[in-house]
Amino acid sequence: MPHFTLLAQSLLTGILAGALYGLLALGLSLSWGLLRLVNLGHFAMALLGAYLTWWFGTVYGIPPWWTGLFIVGAFFVYGMGLHWVFMRFRVAEMASMLITFSIAVLLESLLQALWTADFRRYETAWSSASIVVGPLFVPTLNLAAALVAAVLALATWAWLRFTYVGKALRAGAEDAPIAAAFGINHRQLSYLLSGLCAAYAGVAGVFIALIATLAPSEIWTWVGVVFAVVIIGRLGNPLGALVGGVLIGACEAMTMAVVNPAWAPLVSFSVLIALLLFRPKWV
Amino acid sequence: MSVRRLAPAAFFAVLGLALLAVPALDIPAFYVSFLYIVFNWISLATSWTILSGFAGYWSFGHAAFFGIGVYTAATLATKFGVPFLWTLPLAAGLAALLGTTIGFIVFRLQRLRGELFALMTISMTFVVATIISNTPIDGGSGVYLISVAVPELFGSPTGTIYVLGLAMAAVAMATAYAVSRSRLGLGLFAIHDDEDVAETKGVPTFRYKLAAIALSSGIAGAVGAVYSIYVSYVTVGETFEITVTMYPVVMSIFGGARHWLGPALGAVVITTALYSLASGPQAYIGRAVIALGLILVILLMPQGVVTTVLRWWRRRMPPRVIVPERIEPRPREAIPEASPHPVLDCRDVSKAFGGIQALRNVSLAVAPGEILGLVGPNGSGKSTLINVITGHYQIDGGAVFFDGARIDALPAHTIAQHGIARSYQIPRLFNHLTVLDNVALPARFGTEHQDKGAAAAEAMHWLAYTGLAARATALPQQLNLHERKFLELARALAARPRLLLLDEVMSGLNHTEIDAALMLVRDIRERGTTIVFVEHLMRAVVALSDRVAVLNEGTLIAVGTPQETMRDAEVINVYLGKAHAS
Amino acid sequence: MLLEVRNLSVGYGGAPAIVDIELDVEVGEIVSVIGPNGAGKSTLINAIAGILRAEKGSLRVGGVDLTGIAAHRVCRHGVALVPEGRRLFVGMTVEENLEIGCYRPEARKVKDESLMRVYDLFPVLRERRGQIAGTLSGGQQQMVAVGRALMAGPRLLLLDEPSLGLAPSIVAELFRALRIIHAEGVAMLLVEQNVAQALDIADRAYVLEEGRIVATGLPDELLAQSRIREVYLGL
Repeated sequence: MPHFTLLAQSLLTGILAGALYGLLALGLSLSWGLLRLVNLGHFAMALLGAYLTWWFGTVYGIPPWWTGLFIVGAFFVYGMGLHWVFMRFRVAEMASMLITFSIAVLLESLLQALWTADFRRYETAWSSASIVVGPLFVPTLNLAAALVAAVLALATWAWLRFTYVGKALRAGAEDAPIAAAFGINHRQLSYLLSGLCAAYAGVAGVFIALIATLAPSEIWTWVGVVFAVVIIGRLGNPLGALVGGVLIGACEAMTMAVVNPAWAPLVSFSVLIALLLFRPKWV
Repeated sequence: MSVRRLAPAAFFAVLGLALLAVPALDIPAFYVSFLYIVFNWISLATSWTILSGFAGYWSFGHAAFFGIGVYTAATLATKFGVPFLWTLPLAAGLAALLGTTIGFIVFRLQRLRGELFALMTISMTFVVATIISNTPIDGGSGVYLISVAVPELFGSPTGTIYVLGLAMAAVAMATAYAVSRSRLGLGLFAIHDDEDVAETKGVPTFRYKLAAIALSSGIAGAVGAVYSIYVSYVTVGETFEITVTMYPVVMSIFGGARHWLGPALGAVVITTALYSLASGPQAYIGRAVIALGLILVILLMPQGVVTTVLRWWRRRMPPRVIVPERIEPRPREAIPEASPHPVLDCRDVSKAFGGIQALRNVSLAVAPGEILGLVGPNGSGKSTLINVITGHYQIDGGAVFFDGARIDALPAHTIAQHGIARSYQIPRLFNHLTVLDNVALPARFGTEHQDKGAAAAEAMHWLAYTGLAARATALPQQLNLHERKFLELARALAARPRLLLLDEVMSGLNHTEIDAALMLVRDIRERGTTIVFVEHLMRAVVALSDRVAVLNEGTLIAVGTPQETMRDAEVINVYLGKAHAS
Repeated sequence: MLLEVRNLSVGYGGAPAIVDIELDVEVGEIVSVIGPNGAGKSTLINAIAGILRAEKGSLRVGGVDLTGIAAHRVCRHGVALVPEGRRLFVGMTVEENLEIGCYRPEARKVKDESLMRVYDLFPVLRERRGQIAGTLSGGQQQMVAVGRALMAGPRLLLLDEPSLGLAPSIVAELFRALRIIHAEGVAMLLVEQNVAQALDIADRAYVLEEGRIVATGLPDELLAQSRIREVYLGL
């Protein structure tokens, strides 16, 4: 049995990593829950954002926050464009998976063409910085990512819950014709939401660049975990995505510490299977 | 067998023999190897289609089944010295086991089955890869099969591998062909179009989906086993690569995922394109092109190439429909002797949705040969009652008996096979099946489980009966509303039910059509079928019913002859309000 | 004239649901449309609300031509819908449902007054303001549906079978509320199967049968006709 401090340290690391899962899950959960579109390209977009952050940072010396700002804007436009395609061709849920899957493959090829399949690491002044809390080390960047994830999830939750636009989006997702009878233009709002989801992928990408090692194939390593988080957190629920992410992150960390690091990828899958077996009404 | 059907069979036989002769010829190894790769993709794409194309449950995890096969063969052959050919069935079995397990978990869900299945299969690929790479199965360094003896069945080991590849492709295509022509295939196609209706027509949907995934993953496993000996060095990275998952999907969609030949065609075209486009370090360019192609095909040609071409071909060459000159009246089955049981007996049936009590202690018995009209205002629970009887909804309390046997806990397809059929108010037809197949399906899955020929004849009979014989080869979308309503009726009759539940067959019909429908319903009863019908058109209710049952707010408020019931003060009150109940 | 429907026809996939409908509602008037199920009453209401597109004919509200206008623009002209089967946003709370009612900017400005008005009209909703709408009883759900429409501050309320599936005492309570709303100057177009209730509250009425208007007049005149009995009870 590992030492208690060691366990606490891995739990903390897991929670911080889990918040990043939550950040990645946020956009997916919203577009699946409120737009009925399953976006497998979400991870590829996040990784594209990460590469852009790394590239602008190392080659042109542009700090990540400026790149982040640019990415959020550009990705927002991409999200709206994607939604236009879905509307124009009346793409249903299953077909949306195939199309976004293809987009992911396209983007993977693009990343490989531009930056090769080699591993990339974005070294910054904060890369190894950490805050010491008692016996625990809190890596600054991971903490920042977790804070941003929490703020975004909370803000999105509040936005959906307390603003007219947020309520209109939820109403439109439930019953678009009746929502329209009360003046809600669901089409217009869904462009906004689709743009927002893509922008969230960009934000996640910036932090992936700062925290993780990049390779084009990383696109696929996130898929299973993050979709498990989306289901566990319930579709269209931003807070659920965050909580689900933290939960999975913590479980993975405990598995790594207690069992074997190599088995961590099994955790989310097992939790999802258990959920589907014993609480099938959850989804 | 007609020439039209014999010609393709002869074509495939000659093609197969020609390909079988390839190893004996002096052809450069590169081409033999290329052909093997084509066979490999044909088998994978075709096996993918058996579940995903036919039934519409898209798997994004074919790499996992393939990979299980690869590593089963590699492990058994290298570590346990199992003769290579013996590893094939084991590889197929293990892959099928994994597939069936996933299916067992996901296919039972009520919502998001399709999406969750897709996601589960994606994650499963990484899980299987993780397990294999972290255990001695692979250990992260890959497995060499160089020393594994390959039986020299056809001259050289290379020849054997080639022939095994060809055999896999042949097996996959033959399976897809056989499935697409079988009961199973018809059931899967129906599941693709409307799973709830398929279940209500007697298709055991859960079991069929499991059968399809077992076949699909089993073939992929065997293909993987052959592939392991072909590459002779297997690694987790390459085996579970995303392209292994992607290519079968792309090839099937491109060729046409609902046709047994589509994936093979897609595999030939796309593999050739990939070989000529790029290989080695530039492989990603090929991948990008394929991905782009897939997007375009989904957006612009969602049916795939084969289906699109076939449809175009059929439009040019309208098929001759054999319309029987005179419909032989079926021997009338006598109305059953007064049986001790009512045909249908609902006792204290209750059902609630959220805060709304849809049915409240409804007790209603229907005698053999009776026509019972079920009326009541909108939302009074009529449709809920039908859905409860057919097993679509589980009841909260009470019991439902059919011919004295309790049926309320049975799955919907079993209830259908017992002899209860229904029609839908808004026709819910299988949109990708022809009119004939729409009607043949319940004949094959209903009370009598007829074989293909008998079901087609039965279907043709009911199409003629409802005046639709000339539209037998059309697709439901090509029919107008009236034809669709009659098709819905023909589909219910083809199951030869003993109890027929009709949900507003008259709505949307004009006066003459209503008169025709009235005759039809009476005639159906004369043939020995008991009928419960929901109807808003009171003229029809009064004219047809032996008895009328009135529901209001989920409660049965009156049962009796039409004259009595419609003069009942409470009934008049429900319909017209107090002022009229004089 | 508040609502003028001229020559309106709507169909589904080739089958006509309503044909050549001519119908008027004056400012502050209650007009009922009665007829058996399947006569096309809901189609008529949904076409006026902009949810269904007319094949032919025209539609004017307060003199403004709304023919073919997008559904989300119709409510700007003071039309609010209480749809058949309530169709609440069942995953949202009672108050959120009401807030959706005042989504359009002019209605938002008077949200607090409107909420007070709805809660005064249906006090039970005030108690249950935080409850998820899908868990309410049928009667309470209908109150939310009416309240939601009132929040839009309508000149014309379209009511599609408000008494559907409700117990008589609840129906009576509901119609009491409708009379209060009417007294405040809101005109109503009421579609009902419940003939007595519908004719009792109406200033004028139309009888719809198989997609066509077959009779129109004052409630008492229509009640006297044997046709109604025939259409409804088949006798």
